[in-house]
Amino acid sequence: MSAHHHKEDFLFKYVFSTDHKMISKQFLVTGFLMGFLGLVMSTLFRLQLGWPGESFEVIDMFMGSWAEDGVMSPDKYLALVTMHGTIMVFFLLTAGLSGTFSNLLIPLQIGARDMASGFLNMLSYWFFFLSSVIMLISLFVEGGAASAGWTIYPPLSALPQAIPGSGAGMTLWLVAMAIFIVSSLLGSLNYIVTIFNLRTVGMTMTRMPLTIWAFLFTAIIGVLSFPVLLSCALLLIFDRSFGTSFYLSDIYIGGQVLEHSGGSPILFEHLFWFLGHPEVYIVLLPALGITSEIISTMTRKPIFGYRAMIGSMMAIGFLSFIVWGHHMFLTGMNPFLGSVFTFTTLLIAIPSAVKVFNYLTTLWKGNIRFTPATLFSIGLVSTFITGGVTGLVLGDSALDINVHDTYFVVGHFHIVMGLSAIFGMFAGVYHWFPKLFGRMMNNKLGNVHFWLTIICAYGVFFPMHFLGFAGVPRRYYTNSEFPMFDNMIDINEFISMFAILAFFAQLIFFFNFVYSAFRGPRAPQNPWKGNTLEWTAPVEHFHGNWYGEIPHVYRWPYDYSKVDANGDYVSGEDYIPQTVPLGDNEKDGGH
Amino acid sequence: MSMENINYKEEVRRKTSKPLLWIGIVSIIMFFSGLTSAVVVSQGGGSFLKIDLPFAFTISTLIIIASSAAFHFGLISVKKGNLAIAKISVLVTLVLGLSFILTQFLGWVALYENEVYAVGSQSTQESSYLYLLTALHIAHLLGGLISLIVVLVKTIKERYSVDNMLGMQVSITYWHFLGGLWIYLFFFLRYIIA
Ligand code: HEM
Ligand SMILES: [Cu+2]
Repeated sequence: MSAHHHKEDFLFKYVFSTDHKMISKQFLVTGFLMGFLGLVMSTLFRLQLGWPGESFEVIDMFMGSWAEDGVMSPDKYLALVTMHGTIMVFFLLTAGLSGTFSNLLIPLQIGARDMASGFLNMLSYWFFFLSSVIMLISLFVEGGAASAGWTIYPPLSALPQAIPGSGAGMTLWLVAMAIFIVSSLLGSLNYIVTIFNLRTVGMTMTRMPLTIWAFLFTAIIGVLSFPVLLSCALLLIFDRSFGTSFYLSDIYIGGQVLEHSGGSPILFEHLFWFLGHPEVYIVLLPALGITSEIISTMTRKPIFGYRAMIGSMMAIGFLSFIVWGHHMFLTGMNPFLGSVFTFTTLLIAIPSAVKVFNYLTTLWKGNIRFTPATLFSIGLVSTFITGGVTGLVLGDSALDINVHDTYFVVGHFHIVMGLSAIFGMFAGVYHWFPKLFGRMMNNKLGNVHFWLTIICAYGVFFPMHFLGFAGVPRRYYTNSEFPMFDNMIDINEFISMFAILAFFAQLIFFFNFVYSAFRGPRAPQNPWKGNTLEWTAPVEHFHGNWYGEIPHVYRWPYDYSKVDANGDYVSGEDYIPQTVPLGDNEKDGGH
Repeated sequence: MSMENINYKEEVRRKTSKPLLWIGIVSIIMFFSGLTSAVVVSQGGGSFLKIDLPFAFTISTLIIIASSAAFHFGLISVKKGNLAIAKISVLVTLVLGLSFILTQFLGWVALYENEVYAVGSQSTQESSYLYLLTALHIAHLLGGLISLIVVLVKTIKERYSVDNMLGMQVSITYWHFLGGLWIYLFFFLRYIIA
């Protein structure tokens, strides 16, 4: 064959691949690159917050003209905070997390050769890639990147002349997000249809691993909520560029009345948070699914309350659509309506508590094998509890009024959503690395990475709650101008030191990741002695996943340490893959 | 056995084409629910003026219903093996689809002549919503028209038969959905904005 043919092979194997495993890796690498930039941004603006106005070599080096004499300017600060939030929530923890693990695990764990539509799947990745590129380009346009916060509330976002970032940067933000939404919808579409229609023989819905259930609910939530964000963004684009009045009215700005009439920014908040809150669970549910799988495998115990886990995810998914008002308690909402949203919000605590209880009971008396994946999973349980407790405070309208828009909120959502999801993602990468790259990651480095990360994470985000109690507002460039916050400067320094350490801890991970992908020891087919189908597929990747027939399934995925009447292991080992038929008097689990 | 296996690919297509469409439809429904809820929220802010809906929109409603009926007739004809009638039916559907767009356009012209503007400082919320909702419906209809053209070509080439009409079924489902969506929007506009 000619060289031409090889080139074509390369293009379709690595670039325009329709193989879900390659697309999974593409999502992972792109997501991590974006996440790394988000991390760098947070470290840079933490320098400013910890030591306001001080000059830093690194800031000078990285930001150049954006930071005169090594001090970042206020508008660049706002741009970085906005981009950091956007990147972390959407690019790392929505596309990066769901895109990687839904793609990798759905076909492999339900026994399919690929997604329902490989073509749409490929489009999904490339729209994501395009969106990432546009989002990054927006940093460099005139006026800088969008600066109205990741929630881009109007009028700041609706009036191009409002602040520097409201111009071209905001336009590109909206374009990038519109493309992102299309990518996300194409992905979700595929995930749902694949799970419902392409399961192998014997893979009934209640024999699916909890990862698959989590990805399913995530995709359903995405299909129901992202289109509403699209409608929200569309109206904003019209207000910005075509003089309509959906979110704007005839307010005075700089002594001049705007040529708009009758619109209201509150409408934007309703539409935005109708996605915004479900988005929290789009970020979180995959991480919870990954954790369920890892905790069960690594404790060598069946997951406690399999059906309760499914039920609680379903309840969380449903409730997530009727709580958005808890972000709007201060918009002049009728207090009665406020109490309704308080009620629905507090209800979410119940299924969440069920999940935590089930994790703990699964861990209880387990024969735990402490890999980095296990540690990060347990870390997730920890942050899910810590962050969930402060959620009760914010969900209560009477309490929220006091801490709304302060660092209390920043502390809360970073712990419950940011940390939990990123811990779930790390856990997943450590656990399925052998499946992704056919090699093992280094456990020692992984353990160091975990301990540094969890210590720093709490070091950064726990003290933020106290800042919030003292009234320190979020999204402020500096707090040194307010005498009442003067005694807070030590806390801010403390936080920033942990943030810097956290940054270096992540470098360990990135090193481990890249090194192991090329040089790590070769992985056996089933390194963790797991029951699920992906471990029955050969280590090497090829389109179609299994040589010969797709394996059939005979039991649920959590037959770990299953014993017979005499107390002996049923299969002679402490695990029974899903492909092993049930014995004569053996009952299937999960009921 | 690998992905190249034609049977497996065919099976995947058979099992997933309709579900993919249905979930896509769900997301479109959520998109329009978001927008029409926005209208209701905006209306709660008071100062909503009524706009007279142009008569052209009533005609376009009748046209889109007729087009759905024609398409359905085409499908039945294929099932009965009557391909000649199927060709005519699909062609009629396409012509009606294009006439729908024409009447929508005439509706906009009528609105514009009544000084109801889509954008700019003379636009109001209700006028912008009116144009936006109808235009977005057409944007989705364009997808339907493209699939209709594909179906037409395949019908003319006699590619469909009783046991091979998946593409046609998918296309017709989407087309009926577009009709239903327009009828919803029509009554919504008729009673909320107009
Ligand atoms: C080492 C890691 C991180 C550090 C040090 C950090 C630090 C911060 C700080 C200090 C702020 C608030 C700045 C301000 O209000 O002025 C912030 C905002 C934010 N962060 Fe992070 N963060 C980190 C990781 C993450 C992750 C993993 C997520 C994913 C959910 C995330 C999501 C956000 C969001 C959504 C905002 C709000 C942006 C806005 O106000 O529009 N961050 N971050
Ligand atoms: Cu919320």
